[in-house]
This record gives sequence, C-alpha cells and structure tokens, in this order.
Amino acid sequence: MNEFLTKIAGILEVEQIKETDDLKAFPQWDSLAVLSVIAMLDSSYGLNLHAADLEPVHSAGDLWKLVQSRTAA
Amino acid sequence: MNFTYRRKRIAGTFVVLPANERLFVEEMKNFNFPEARSLKLKEVMGYNKRRMVQPDVCVSDLAVFGMKQLFDRGLLKPEEVDALIVVTQTPDHLMPPTSNIIQGRLGLKQDTFCLDLNQACAGFVIGLMQAFMLLEQESVRKVVLVNADVLSRKASPKDRNIYPLIGDAASITVIERDVDDSVIHASLKMDGARHQALMIPAGGMRHPCTPETAVLEDVGDHNLRAKDHLYMDGSAIFNFVQVEIPPLIEGLLAHAGASLDSVDYVLCHQPNRFMLQKLADKMKVPYAKMPNNVVENFGNNSGATIPTSIALNLGGRVKENRCRVVLAGFGGGLTWSAMLMDLGKLAFCELIDYP
Repeated sequence: MNEFLTKIAGILEVEQIKETDDLKAFPQWDSLAVLSVIAMLDSSYGLNLHAADLEPVHSAGDLWKLVQSRTAA
Repeated sequence: MNFTYRRKRIAGTFVVLPANERLFVEEMKNFNFPEARSLKLKEVMGYNKRRMVQPDVCVSDLAVFGMKQLFDRGLLKPEEVDALIVVTQTPDHLMPPTSNIIQGRLGLKQDTFCLDLNQACAGFVIGLMQAFMLLEQESVRKVVLVNADVLSRKASPKDRNIYPLIGDAASITVIERDVDDSVIHASLKMDGARHQALMIPAGGMRHPCTPETAVLEDVGDHNLRAKDHLYMDGSAIFNFVQVEIPPLIEGLLAHAGASLDSVDYVLCHQPNRFMLQKLADKMKVPYAKMPNNVVENFGNNSGATIPTSIALNLGGRVKENRCRVVLAGFGGGLTWSAMLMDLGKLAFCELIDYP
C-alpha cells in the first residue's frame, strides 16, 4: 500500500498521497496522469486497466482496492 | 495469421518530409491547458519538433516529388515500375485511387499495377506483404511502395491528444526479388470490433462532411474537436499496444524459429516515446535496440514511421551491411503486423525535404 501510494504521488508530482485523498481534486490529474497510472499498474502489477475503469475511482484507497480486486481475480 | 515469403528484398527507401517544421513549445500556446502540464506532456511523450505540410499539399505531391528524385538520381528507371502501391488514409480524392494519380503525373507505363490500400500505422508491413505477393508474378520485377499521409490536415489544432504528435511524410520503398535464398516471415492480426478507437468520423459515405461536422465540440479535458477531425482513444490504444504487440512478436519469432537475441533491431511504428519505452520494458528489449526517436524529430508520420526510423537510425549501417530486423506496425482498424527480415545492403536510404 505504501509503495503504491508513493508511486501515485510520483505521478502527481507531490510529496505524499494519503489513502483518503481524492485523486481527481489534484490539478495534475489529467489524461496524461491517467495514462501514467495505467502504465504504472501494467508494469508494477501486471494489470491492464482502461481509462473507463478509473472513472468511478476517487480516492487513492479506492484505486488500491480496485488493484487488489483485479490482481486477486 | 502467419506468412512466409522467399527471395524478396528491400532495394532502398526514401522518406520525403515537408520542410515546414513546427515546435511543440510554440504550439502548446494554442491548447487550453496550463503550461506546466503541457511541458510535462512534452517530457513524457517526447514531443519536440514535427514536420507538417502546408494546407494545400496532398499525398501525391509528396510521392511524385520523391519518385522524381529516384528517377533523376538514376536509382530507379520509370519503366521499371511494374507496380505502385500507395498506402494512405488521406487520399487526394475519394475517387480515383491516388496510385493512379501518381502514375499519371509521372507518366508511368500502362503496364503498372496501381493499388491503393487503406491502412495507416500498420501499413508499412502490410504494403511489403502486398509487394511480395505481386513479385511472385513473372511480369512484376520491381514494386514501388508509397506510405504517405497528410493527417495534420485532419487533426484539430485545439486537441492536445492528437495535434502535437502528428507528422506528415511519404516514404518511397523499392522492393525487388532477392538473388539470395532469403526467407521473410510475417504475422498479422486485425480486430474490426475496435475500429472506433482510431477514426475520422465524418467525410465518408456514412457521415458526409457538412457545416455541422466542421463545428468544434468540447470533448472534455479542455480539448476541442470536430467530427471532420481525426479521433484517437489514447488510453485504449496504449492498452492495445501493450497487450497485443508482445505476443504478436513472440508468435512471429516462434513461427520463424528465431529468438529475439538473434535480431539486431526491433523497428516499431512510432506513436510516441512513452508508449515505445513501455513496450520495450515489457518485452525486455534495450532501448538502443528499439529506437523511439522519430516523434521527437518529425512527429508520428503514420505508415512512414518505420522507413523514417530506418533512415534516421540505421541509414549508414544498412547501406554498408545487412541487419536482421523485426518490423512492427500497429494502428487503425485495429490492425497489428510484424515482420522478420534481413535489411541491407540498401542502394539508398535517406531523408529528403519537400520544399
């Protein structure tokens, strides 16, 4: 989880991200950030998510739950 | 599906690039976007310089210019052109074929098989496959393959997803029989169920161009685009490439009984640097073996990216030596194609400017 949050923080170019932080509230959250997240999930977790999969996701914790549910499947 | 060809080779290639060069740092002012985010995009995607035609230049203009250079420099005789394949998504007209227009403008013989193929980013490999098939005929000794698009004319200047990456170009490749007993393997897949991921919605018979289709619409993420414009679902294409290309190349190599280690270069279509680096990471190919520098120099010029990459990165080498290469294209259709072949010695391999 911590490692995951560090990676998300890196993409959004901030010091740190908390589980409850709303990703979409960051001005850096744009199509490039979405693509960067998709690429990171592929390279680090072997997941191939689509941009549409991220639409219902708001907090960093939501995204982590999505990653866990997909990697478990 | 897999294909095998024997005794065929590329004789040489020319890439015609419009002299008009555009800089990303100038163009990003047109986007309705914070400058810092645009600079981030530049850094990640590798946007820098690109080549763009003037608004009245067509595919046949670029192709005729390049073919005349081949003739004038004695690299090919007009009467040697037995077939002319033009791979384009931006034909001069809906009708007749652009290949016939080029044949007429150059005064080529009537015994020329002119053929247009509607393919883009996977179109270099597909054009080569078509050329190899034609060379099976006794009457066909040389094929000219033109991969050309002027897609900048179909990109919305207010669409940050597509405008900064598009380049225009025409590659002119001569294909002939090989006196050596060479073997070329190819692999091809298509998925029309995903055809909407890359398309120009209006301008064909389904949705003819009207004043309404030219109206810029807010398509989200601060981008404006009309139905007349090129649309790309960027994240879907990213997924498509990461999921489909590694197994395509693995399948090709298995079919050929070859390993990736035996290959000198993996020459991919050039969508942007980011996508190619991620693809190289996934396939565990060193970046030096899979060039990704076409977009930063010239833009993504559709079906001409592989010849552009060859001339930019291997120009000197393939004129002197033979290299073992995998070529891989992927794009509209969706279509993805790969080929394993020996490249060289090429009689000509260079980038030339269209004034």
